[in-house]
Amino acid sequence: MRIRAAISAALASAGILLVGWQSGTHVAVTGSSAVGTSAGTSGAKGSNETTSGSSGSSGPASSSGSGSVGAAAKAAGTYAGSVVRTRYGTVQVQITVKAGAITDVTALKLTDAERKSVQISSRAAPLLRTEVIRAQSANVQTISGATVTSEAYLGSLQAAIDAANL
Amino acid sequence: MDTPPQPSLPAATRRSPGALNPFRAQSRQRLLRADLLTVLAWASVAGAAALWLADGGATGFSTPAGSLTALGIVAGLTGMDLVVLMLLLAARLPFIDRTVGHDRALQYHRQLGKPALYLLLAHGVLLAVGDGMAEGLDPLSELAALWAVVPDMWLAIVSIGLFIAVVVSSVVAVRRRFPYEFWYAVHLLTYAAVLTAIPHQFSVGGLFAEGTWQRWYWLALCIGTGAALLHYRVLEPIIATFRHQLRVRRVVPEAPGVVSIEMTGRHLNELAGSGGRFFIWRFLAPGQWWHPHPFSLSAEPVRFDAAGAGMLRITVRNLGRGSARLVALRPGTKVAVEGPYGLFNTASRSRGKVVMIGAGIGITPLRALLEGTPFSPGNATVLLRGHSDSELYLGDEILDLCRRRGATLFHLTGARAAGGHSWMPESAVRAGHRLTSYAPDIADSDVYICGPTAWAGNVIRAARSAGVRQDQLHYERFDW
Repeated sequence: MRIRAAISAALASAGILLVGWQSGTHVAVTGSSAVGTSAGTSGAKGSNETTSGSSGSSGPASSSGSGSVGAAAKAAGTYAGSVVRTRYGTVQVQITVKAGAITDVTALKLTDAERKSVQISSRAAPLLRTEVIRAQSANVQTISGATVTSEAYLGSLQAAIDAANL
Repeated sequence: MDTPPQPSLPAATRRSPGALNPFRAQSRQRLLRADLLTVLAWASVAGAAALWLADGGATGFSTPAGSLTALGIVAGLTGMDLVVLMLLLAARLPFIDRTVGHDRALQYHRQLGKPALYLLLAHGVLLAVGDGMAEGLDPLSELAALWAVVPDMWLAIVSIGLFIAVVVSSVVAVRRRFPYEFWYAVHLLTYAAVLTAIPHQFSVGGLFAEGTWQRWYWLALCIGTGAALLHYRVLEPIIATFRHQLRVRRVVPEAPGVVSIEMTGRHLNELAGSGGRFFIWRFLAPGQWWHPHPFSLSAEPVRFDAAGAGMLRITVRNLGRGSARLVALRPGTKVAVEGPYGLFNTASRSRGKVVMIGAGIGITPLRALLEGTPFSPGNATVLLRGHSDSELYLGDEILDLCRRRGATLFHLTGARAAGGHSWMPESAVRAGHRLTSYAPDIADSDVYICGPTAWAGNVIRAARSAGVRQDQLHYERFDW
C-alpha cells in the first residue's frame, strides 16, 4: 500500500511538473516576443527621451509636440512625464490631450530590468491606462502585483498632467 | 522452558478458526484514503513549483544570478506549501483524522517543521544573493534595499524571523518539556508568521499578479486553509460545547491520584462509538477554564433517555499541575469540549481479532474500547501492565467486561525488566515469555497500544517483530 502511494505520488508530481514546464516554455516564447516589441518601441522613442533630457525621479517635466507649456493651457497635444527610476528599470509615460481631456496615455518606457519586470509592466500598463483615462487624473489605485511599476507610472503621469496644466 | 503464561481470565470459548473479516472493507478504504492524502500532499508541493514553471520561470536559469533567484523562488513556493500542509495537518480535519488519526497527523506535522523552515531560509538567502548579484549589491545591502524600497518586503523579513523563533522554540520546548501553555503560545506566533508572509507573495515578483490563474490557485489555497482552521478549530468546538451542555456530575476516586470524572450532557447519542477516542476538555472553573486537557473517554457514552441525554466519563491521573486541580472539581462545573479526535476506536479496525495492550493510565481508553468494539468470544486479548495490581486502573471493570464478552485477560505486574528494552515485567522476561506467548494470533490481529511513550515504543517493536504490520498497529500517546 505504501508502495502504491509512493508510485502514485511520484507519477502525479512528475505529471504536474511536466505540465507546468510545458506551459512555461510557451509563456517564455511569447514573453520574449513581448520583449522584442517593447524594445523596438523604446528604441524608436529613444531620441525623444534623450532630447527631453529629463532624468532622475524628480526631474522636471518636459513637454513635446505642439502643446506649449503654461499659457496655452488645455491645448491639444502630447506631454511627456518625468522619467522615474525604480529598481526594476525606468518608467516614463506620455499623455495625449484634446480639449482639456486626457484621451490617451502612452508608455514611453516601462520597467524592463528583467524578463519578469517586462511581464509585470506589460500586464499593468493597459489597466493603468484605462483607469487614468476614466479618472482623468493620476489619482487611481495601483495594480497589485505591480506596485512599483504603478507608482512610477502614476508619478510620471502626474508630471505630464502638470505640464499640460490640466 | 517456555511455560505458557497463565491468564488472569481465560476466554470463555476457544478461538473459532478465522472466518469472515468484517473490517476488511473498512481497512482497505482507510488505506486508500491514506494513499490519496499522500498523493495530494506531494502533488501540492509539485504544484507549487509548477505554478512558477508555468509562468516561464525556468528561463531564469540562463544566468548565475538568475539561477539563484529561480531556486530561491522555488524554495519559497514549496516552503509555503509545506507550511500550508502543516496547518492543514493541525487543523483537525475530519477526513485526516478518520484516515491517519490525530496522533499520526501531528507526527507528520512535526516532521514537516524543519524542511519548511530550511526551504524558507533558503528562499530568503538565495533571493538576497541572487537579486543582489543582479544589481551589484552584497546580500545584506540587498536585504536592506528590499526592506526599504519594495512594498510588503519588510513584513516578509519579519515573518521569516518569526518562523525561526517558532521552530527553534518548539524544538527546545519538546526537549525541555516546557508546560503545554508555553508551547501553545509559541504556536500562536505561527499564525503571525504565516500572515505576515502572505502580502509579499501577492505583491512582489508578479507570479501571483492580478489576472493570473496562479493568483486564484494561491488565494484558494490560503483562504481554504484559513477557513479550515477557523471552522474546525474554533467554530466546531464552540458548536459542540453549546450542543452538549456538559456539566461535571461527580468526581470518583479510583486509586491514589486517579479519579474518574463523570459529566452529563445532551445529544450524547451522537457520540456513540467514540469510547477510547479523546476530547480536549476545558473545565470552566475559576483559574482553570483556559487550561485545555486532552483526555480519552474511559467508557462508551451512557444514554439516559431517548432524547440523547446521557453521561460521559474520563479517568485521569494526577500528571501535571492542571490535572491536580481536577480532583477538586465541583459538581455542576460547566465543561467546554472539542472532539472526539483520534482513531482509538472501531473505525481503525482491520481484522476480526484484537489485542489491547495498556500500561498505567493508558489502560483507561482500552476499557472503553473493550466495551464497544465488536469481536466474537475468544477473539480478543487484553494485556494490562502496571507495577502493582493497584495500578491497573479500572481493573475490576475490565475483568467484568472480559468475562461478559469472552476476552482473555492478562495482568502483567511487577518491576520493569533491567535494560529498559522490554515492555514486560522482569518476571515475565525471566520466564522467557514474549508477546506471542500471550497473544499467539497477534500477527492477524489489530493491536491497540496505549501508555507512556518509551514503553509503547517497546511494545510496538515487539509487535513488529511478531509480524504485525504497520496498518494493524493503533497507538495513542499521552504526553503530547
